[in-house]
Amino acid sequence: MTPTRTSPARRSFLASAALGGATIVGASALGALDADAAFAAPAPSLDPAVTRTSFAEGRIGAVKGSVLHVAGSRGETHRIQLTNATSVWKARPTTADAIEVGDGLYARGVEMPDGAIAADAVWVNIVNLYTTIRGIQRDRLHLSHGGHELVARTIPETAASYAGGALTSDLSRLRIGQPAQVLGAWRPADNSIDLVRVTVGH
Amino acid sequence: MACSSNALWAGETTWFCCGAAWGPCGSAGGGACGNCASAANHGAWPNASQACWDITRPDLCGEGGIPRRGCGSVMNVTHQCSGATVCITITDCGPRTRSFCGEQSCCGGSCRINRVLDLTPAAFTAIGSLDSGVLPVLITE
Repeated sequence: MTPTRTSPARRSFLASAALGGATIVGASALGALDADAAFAAPAPSLDPAVTRTSFAEGRIGAVKGSVLHVAGSRGETHRIQLTNATSVWKARPTTADAIEVGDGLYARGVEMPDGAIAADAVWVNIVNLYTTIRGIQRDRLHLSHGGHELVARTIPETAASYAGGALTSDLSRLRIGQPAQVLGAWRPADNSIDLVRVTVGH
Repeated sequence: MACSSNALWAGETTWFCCGAAWGPCGSAGGGACGNCASAANHGAWPNASQACWDITRPDLCGEGGIPRRGCGSVMNVTHQCSGATVCITITDCGPRTRSFCGEQSCCGGSCRINRVLDLTPAAFTAIGSLDSGVLPVLITE
């Protein structure tokens, strides 16, 4: 991330955070508010002081202030520190207010001296699944994934890509029996997903 | 083995989940090699074995020369524009290249065509953002 992309609020946070200098710069360089744009930039922007990012995944067991307490899928625990600079995705770019206990999470950031991860990005409930379309309704797709049935509900942002083409809101060309890559947000309450993007081939 | 800089392939990578996981990923299992884990820097290669090749069939998309690299192979994956790099270990077979022939991922005015690699969330987030779904990458070993 270039200096011009850093918001005043973010600079303020980074300036006041009680962290080591290299760690602060590293968290900034990882992309924060617009992670997609940061990684699509033509030149590397990672701070040399940061040799590697940290990653965590699991289910959110508690939200205490700006810290997410996460139970990892392999039995480990994580503390994820959110900041004003953390980008949050939950079916769409959103804010920390949208994060709920019980949600699943992937987080990327920098490990702090106390073991917590200062997150530059968290993706809440995100899934990216190879499926087959088994049924099509106006407001949902019925999919099979690994032998399991899965309901994908359309949302205002739902888009499709056909045979490598650009994204479109037109879902009328989807066909039963097609292999489909679906990117969406899992809904823990009913085990369905909110469908963000469906990609099908020829 | 260690990751190195000898050119292996280039194309599009997507991401997938495996091993212990939450939500729909909970049933994914350990992949073709048995030890695939979403939280580790792992990947799926379309020519991990002959049986794997028979499923992925990248040759049907014009990617017929992808070499065999089995379980435990390591490779460097670099975002073609940002230069962000992650060293991964192959622990699964994938992606299903043949189902998405012609799909492309672009940045900086340059595109990579056909998905030739699947990364775990840990590996994918080291070089990009999960919500992008796909990234253009250079692969070395």
